[in-house]
Amino acid sequence: MSDPHKPIQASEEISEFEVLELALRELAIEKGLFSAEDHRRFSEWAESIGPSNGSKMVAKAWTDPEFKKRLLENGTEASKEVGIDWTDPTGTGTPSDYTFFYVLENTPQVHNVIVCTLCSCYPRPVLGMSPDWYRTPNYRRRMVRRPREVLAEFGLHFPSDVEVRVHDSNQKSRFMVMPMRPEGTDGWTEEQLEKIVTRDTMIGVALPSADWDASKAPSAGGGK
Amino acid sequence: MTPKFKVGDRVVVKDQTSLFHTRTQAFVRNQEGTVVEHRPDWVIPEDEAFDKLETGRKEPFYVVRFKQTDLWPRYTGFAVDTLETECAEGWLRPAGKNE
Repeated sequence: MSDPHKPIQASEEISEFEVLELALRELAIEKGLFSAEDHRRFSEWAESIGPSNGSKMVAKAWTDPEFKKRLLENGTEASKEVGIDWTDPTGTGTPSDYTFFYVLENTPQVHNVIVCTLCSCYPRPVLGMSPDWYRTPNYRRRMVRRPREVLAEFGLHFPSDVEVRVHDSNQKSRFMVMPMRPEGTDGWTEEQLEKIVTRDTMIGVALPSADWDASKAPSAGGGK
Repeated sequence: MTPKFKVGDRVVVKDQTSLFHTRTQAFVRNQEGTVVEHRPDWVIPEDEAFDKLETGRKEPFYVVRFKQTDLWPRYTGFAVDTLETECAEGWLRPAGKNE
């Protein structure tokens, strides 16, 4: 029998990429390119970005058809209207994220979902850091090959006449899904709408719902 | 650069070497799809990987849409399902023609 009091063994495994990052960072600090404190501040800033900017854009698009048009035409430019500059702060973009930003509009016929099979490309300036599962080989491999099974695991099902369109962000583009405005939200303000445009609805693994804003724990059993 | 392909063209992804670096996934090689959007010219990943941001070869990029049932022989979804990915021009050839 296993001893319930034995200490939990944390995995000591470190990947080649982590070793590479550490080595590069130490070199850069030694050479004076940036300090350890600079690095910490950058990480703290980057990790504090949440999905609220994306939510703002979707809510604005739901209530302002002109903004929606601009957002679908040129995501990078339209982002500036809600205060996001994709080239900030380095002039060439958040490292590894600079690029072209495209918003994918869900319709009754087409449901969009994003993945990066090569690594973990994600529209970080508008959605913040990606969820852990988004970066796993499991999601990356299976979302391209068995998207409906993966969506079903998130509780999402579509009939056979709805096209599930997977977007593999393998090059310079980053994508965000613009979900359809759900029922029960007539007359809502932009601020109210923003709250229900949660992270997962902009990845495409969930649909917004008038009764869910991810700000508090769901009741047991979900109540739906 | 004037793009060689236009929206609506049927293209096949070439099966070129990935000895050094590429961003063209194995699962789209030799597969036929449709050009659905143009993307701006950009230094191809094969050169960008070696930091040739100024001197690297620039090519037009395309969004190519594939039918999932073409990509995966035992696809478990429905016939309407699609997948989109981006390819540099050098990785594409017109469908129906050999190299």
